[in-house]
Amino acid sequence: MTAALAGLKVLDLSWVVAGPLIGRALADFGAEVVRVESGTRVETARLMQPFHGGVQDKEGSVLFGNCNAGKLGVTLDLKSSSGQQVVRDLVAWADVVVESFSPGQLRKWGLDYATLSADRPDLIMLSTSIAGQDGPWSTLAGFGNVGSSLSGFQNLVGWEDALPMGPFGPYTDYVGPRLALVTLLAALENRRRTGTGCYIDVAQVEAGVFFLSPQVAQHSYDGTVAERRGNHDAVMVPHGVYPSAAEEARPGRDRFVAVVARTDDEWSLLATTIGRADLASRPDLATAAGRRDAEVEIDDAIGAWTSARTADEAEQALQAAGVAAHKAVSTADYVEDAQLAARGHLVELPHPLHGTTTVEGPRYRLSATPGGPRRAAPTLGQDNEVVLRDLLGYDDARIAALHDEGALR
Amino acid sequence: MLEHLRVLDLTDERGLLCGRLLADLGADVVQVEPFAGSSARSAPPVADGLAVSSLFWETFAAGKRGIAVDLDDEADVAVVRRLAARADVVVTSWPRDLVEAVGLDPVSLRAERPELVYVAVSAFGWEGPKARYADSDLVVWAAGGPLEPHRDGDRAPLRISAPQAYLHAAADAATGAMLAVLARSATGAGQVVDVSAQASLGVATLGRVLAHAVGDDHPEWHQAPVKRTDQSGSGAATPNSLKKWYCRDGMIELHLSMGPAAGTFTNNLFGWLRDEGAVEEPVASWDWRTVPDRIVAGELEESELDVARAAVRAFLLTKTKAEVLDAAIERRLLCMSIFDMSDLAASPHLEARGFWAEVDVAGVTTRIPGRIAHVTGADGPRVRRRAPRLGEHQEEVLRDWLGHAPAAAAVDLEGAAR
Repeated sequence: MTAALAGLKVLDLSWVVAGPLIGRALADFGAEVVRVESGTRVETARLMQPFHGGVQDKEGSVLFGNCNAGKLGVTLDLKSSSGQQVVRDLVAWADVVVESFSPGQLRKWGLDYATLSADRPDLIMLSTSIAGQDGPWSTLAGFGNVGSSLSGFQNLVGWEDALPMGPFGPYTDYVGPRLALVTLLAALENRRRTGTGCYIDVAQVEAGVFFLSPQVAQHSYDGTVAERRGNHDAVMVPHGVYPSAAEEARPGRDRFVAVVARTDDEWSLLATTIGRADLASRPDLATAAGRRDAEVEIDDAIGAWTSARTADEAEQALQAAGVAAHKAVSTADYVEDAQLAARGHLVELPHPLHGTTTVEGPRYRLSATPGGPRRAAPTLGQDNEVVLRDLLGYDDARIAALHDEGALR
Repeated sequence: MLEHLRVLDLTDERGLLCGRLLADLGADVVQVEPFAGSSARSAPPVADGLAVSSLFWETFAAGKRGIAVDLDDEADVAVVRRLAARADVVVTSWPRDLVEAVGLDPVSLRAERPELVYVAVSAFGWEGPKARYADSDLVVWAAGGPLEPHRDGDRAPLRISAPQAYLHAAADAATGAMLAVLARSATGAGQVVDVSAQASLGVATLGRVLAHAVGDDHPEWHQAPVKRTDQSGSGAATPNSLKKWYCRDGMIELHLSMGPAAGTFTNNLFGWLRDEGAVEEPVASWDWRTVPDRIVAGELEESELDVARAAVRAFLLTKTKAEVLDAAIERRLLCMSIFDMSDLAASPHLEARGFWAEVDVAGVTTRIPGRIAHVTGADGPRVRRRAPRLGEHQEEVLRDWLGHAPAAAAVDLEGAAR
């Protein structure tokens, strides 16, 4: 069996989430990915929860583990000239370079695309940043909420009667890599056919706005400014997240189930399933517009029913009737979810410090050339020897010299 | 970059975005709709007076050509199968029962054409115990992980007010399609790509879905802590009400970060207040990198933090969103304007980057996001045409893909569309 990206060599100079997720996907499908980190200025994702055993440690973050599984790890001091020379050698080795430094930083080091591609016309390089490589916002400091605030998401999550809440975490970090990946793979296809590389500039803010294309287009069309609406939908009623009964297995944790009537017929099924045939037969509730006028009454009725059973019981009863419903899955539920388990979505990998670790599998199941993480994310500097000796062909003396002068930190 | 690829697009609103991405990258994407029109044409937002199609359709079907067929008519379905026999990629998000009933399923189509890449986007996956679950954006958001931890105080978990779950899945489907296309160049064979929206959302939880598996069920994610100062810089552990501030024309996201890692940003903020005479001593000269230690040592009271917050609150009320953004760039502040759709439309940055494409929507020139990425050195992604009207390219698609317009094809769309 041939892996989809067998033979592809990738140099990953990115950090935190948006950049590393790109190389993670490439590694899953057969690419050899070398991830460069600083051993002294520890990469932010290593300091972010969740941690193995709940203990903060730079080798314990499963966020880092999920973004970097399958890669080889090398530590370099990029401020040192010999560290930069190693990067130049890695570029000569690589087909693809992914980076997420502040725009302009690589130019200062002479590692920008124009310089690197001068004698490598087949090189593909992808830069990912908050706002892009040029334009008035390109020098923005890039903390997570910046992308979701400037792309409009921060304003579009929250209750109608409360302050905007914003999405969970740095939302554009989840969006940018998806657009980056498809563009990068198209560039690989283009290179396969033409022999020519290219430079790709992905901006998280723009990726975020792209995921709000209908809303921003509506503003252009008729001036409408989209507003947050809690869990309500523009069309479907009811459409909400309802409390369910406490569970012994999850002490102290509030439980919820999402319930939606997609059509008038499904509303009738929903009302009947929750023992409210009276609501199902009421003519004023036969249409979504009518139900919207009675939303509080309907939500109370659903909530009364869901509160009297577990989220699982509610989900199963409603789905059995053909009504869209699912419990709000917690991290503990995620491990037990039958559908995710059937897909083999969570993958256990051996880990040098923790025995085993767990990461997500690929988001695309390929029938003939399936992908998946082949090893846990590297510990700091874990593969320095392999990368320098086997990939770059450095001899022992050269590696020792790099070590002695501190270039491998 | 993908001008050589033909994509037959059998999606509804669940998978519509996939073909848009491939079309932006150059592929020839043909959207197939039932005579009644794709359900994506009525996926919100639908503008008043825009009878034909929603803005969801007009944006995410842009770049495609379109044909319409009667899925109850065997001759029409046979035409779709013949188009599939000329396609490099078929992508669908129609229900599995439907594509199997009409013989447009992966087994049937790949039996005729082993080189075909068949991509299926669904809520939970092509098979498995929940594959036939009734689905919606909110239900998938609940099943995939991002809903549960996201609460404003004691209220129920919140979704994003613009549906997102299937956009993640459809974008992943485009990547899956390209992986299979690249594999085909080595093996000569196509394959099936199965994308589950539920599984796509795991990476939208910042690793939370993995926590229990590694023994980290930290209660602090569920409820913001009250006792400990948040030193993360991101404000992740700070209550929402302490991070939102009013300015002259809207709201600002600002977390007064403190501690050795992120206190510098708050020092920069108070530098701005000092320059404009908006804060008095001793608060004006605090070093926010040491504030947590000084609180622990008893040198500072929590109530003194309120004095600092009050100064910031009064100051920001005199500033606009645009002024705050400019200052954030100039002075390196962790302080961000909360933009709405009108702010995006007016953004000088997006304008300077050539982000927008203009398309005709029912006679109105409408700006839509036009750059999924900026490419130099190759023909990069861009919007190549507006979204198709129902059955708009019937004859030309049959001619281009099949070499002629077969008599059996139901090309009488003038009547059918009504």
